[in-house]
Amino acid sequence: MKQTPISKKPSSSLISTKKIIQMNNIWTSYDSKNFVLEGINLSIDRGTNYAIIGQSGSGKSTLLKLMNGMMIPSKGTIKIDYVSPNMNDKKFKNMMHTIGYIPQNLGLVKNITVLENTLLGALPRLTKTQSLLKRFPEHEIQEAKRILNLVGLSGKENRKAYMLSGGEKRRVAIARALMQKPSILLADEIVSELDYVTAHEIMDLIADAQKRMNLTAIMVHHDMQLALEYANRVAVIKEGQKILEIGVEGDSIVDFQTGDMTYDDIMEMYADDAQK
Amino acid sequence: MTPKNNIVIGIIIGLVIIASYNVDANPIEFVEGLPNLAIVVEEMLLVEPKYVPTAIWAMFETIQMAFIGTIIGFAIALPLSMLAARNLNSKYVYAPVRALLAAIRTFPSILWAILFVIMVGLGPFAGVLAIIMYTVGFVAKLQYEAIETIDSDPMDAVISIGVSKWQLIRYVVIPESASHLLSQLLYMFDYNIRQTSILGLVGAGGIGFYIINYIKFFEYGKAAVFMLVVLITVLIIDWISVKIRDKYIIKSQHGMEVTTK
Repeated sequence: MKQTPISKKPSSSLISTKKIIQMNNIWTSYDSKNFVLEGINLSIDRGTNYAIIGQSGSGKSTLLKLMNGMMIPSKGTIKIDYVSPNMNDKKFKNMMHTIGYIPQNLGLVKNITVLENTLLGALPRLTKTQSLLKRFPEHEIQEAKRILNLVGLSGKENRKAYMLSGGEKRRVAIARALMQKPSILLADEIVSELDYVTAHEIMDLIADAQKRMNLTAIMVHHDMQLALEYANRVAVIKEGQKILEIGVEGDSIVDFQTGDMTYDDIMEMYADDAQK
Repeated sequence: MTPKNNIVIGIIIGLVIIASYNVDANPIEFVEGLPNLAIVVEEMLLVEPKYVPTAIWAMFETIQMAFIGTIIGFAIALPLSMLAARNLNSKYVYAPVRALLAAIRTFPSILWAILFVIMVGLGPFAGVLAIIMYTVGFVAKLQYEAIETIDSDPMDAVISIGVSKWQLIRYVVIPESASHLLSQLLYMFDYNIRQTSILGLVGAGGIGFYIINYIKFFEYGKAAVFMLVVLITVLIIDWISVKIRDKYIIKSQHGMEVTTK
C-alpha cells in the first residue's frame, strides 16, 4: 500500500479565490413537473476538494451532471470557469475536454482493454485521420502508460475491462479522466461499494493526482466520514436543497453555513427523519 | 386458473375456429390427404445419387449468393442503423430513417427477387440484390435495437469529454455492441442461406431453381437430393456459428472464460 500523505486535503496554498463553479438559484427537472434540485446556490474555489453528500435520490448526481454540461437547468444560471455550459457552444465544448467525469457505474467500455479505455481521454486531441484509423500517436500511448503506472495498473494495460476487479475498474476510470489533462475532476460515488482499505487507496490516488495536477475535485459521496477526511468543503444535499455546507481544515470544522435553510427548517427535517 | 383466464382462452379458441372456417382450413381434408404424402415420401426415398455433384455445385452458388448478400447488406445497414438509433440522433433524423427501413422490410425477399429479376434478368445476381435488400431492412432493425440497449454509462462518460459523434460511434458504440453485431451477422448469414435456397422459385438463381423444377415435374427423387444437400449445409453452418458464438460472443457478453477444445 502507498504511504498515506500527512494531510489528505489540498493545502490552502493551492486553492485560489477564483471560482471554478458558480451556481445561482438552480432548479432542474426531468419531466418539467417534479423538481430534482430546488434553488441550489453553490460556489467552488479552484483547487478545492469539494464533497457533495446526500442520500440516494437527493439530487446529488444531477448536481454533478450540471457541472459538465450533461444537463441544463430549468431555471437559474451556472458558470463553469466563467463560461455558461452549452454543448453546442465551441468554447464550452473545448472546456469539456478538460473536465473529467466518472459516472456512478464508471462508464468503462467493457470489451476493450485498459489501455484503450485510458486513451479515450485523449480523443479530443486526435486529428480526424487519426481517429478514423484508430491510431493514437506514440506520445499519447506513452502518456497513457505513464498514467496507468501512476494509478497502479502497469502490467495490466492489455486486460479487457470486464476482467478487472472493482478497485481496478475505478483506477481505469481515474486514468481515463487524468488522460484528459483535466482542470476539474467530477466523480459520482466512486468509492461506494468498496471495502474500507480499497476505498482509501482510491481516495488517496485522487488526492495525490489533485496535488500533482492542481485540479479541482468535486466528488459525490455516500459517506460523511470519507468526505470529512478528504474534502476542504462538504455540502449536504437533501431533497434537492443544500441544507448545509461546511469548510474543513485538518480535523476541525472552520466554517459552517446552513445553506438555504434556516436552523428551524433543519431541525424540523431531522425530527421528521427521527420519526421514520 | 382464474375464470377470467378461462374466458380469454375460450375466446382465443373461438377465434381460431372462426378464422379456420374463413380460410377453409379443414382437418378432414388433411387426414384424407395423408396417403398423398406417403406417395411423395416413397418417391423421395428413390434418391438419385448421380445428382449429388450438381446439387453440391448449386449449393455452393447459393452459399456465395447468401455470403455476398449478407456482407454487403450488413455494411449498408450499419450506417443506417446508427442514424436510426434513438440514443444517438434527434427525432428528425431517426424517424425518417426508421420509416425507410420499415418500407424495405415490407417486402419479403421473394418479392424483392421478382422485382430484381424484372430489373436485371434471370440469374443469381437478381437473387443477390434481393438478399441485400432484405438484409438491410431486417438487420438494420436488429442493429439499432442493439445499439439502443447499450449501457448509457460509457456513452455519458465519453460524451462528457466533448468528443465528436463519429468518435463516439467508433470508440464506444461499436465496441459496446460488437458482440451483438457479430451474433446478428451469423444469424443473418444462416437465415439468408435458407432464403437464397428458395429464391430459385422465381428464377433468381441458386439451388431452389432445381428443387422447384424437379417438384414441378414430379421428380421427387431428384428434388430430394437437393433438399438433402440444403439440410446438411444448414446443419454445418449452424454448427460453425455455434462454435464462433462460443468463442467470441458468450465470453465477451458475460465476461467469463469459455473453454474451447
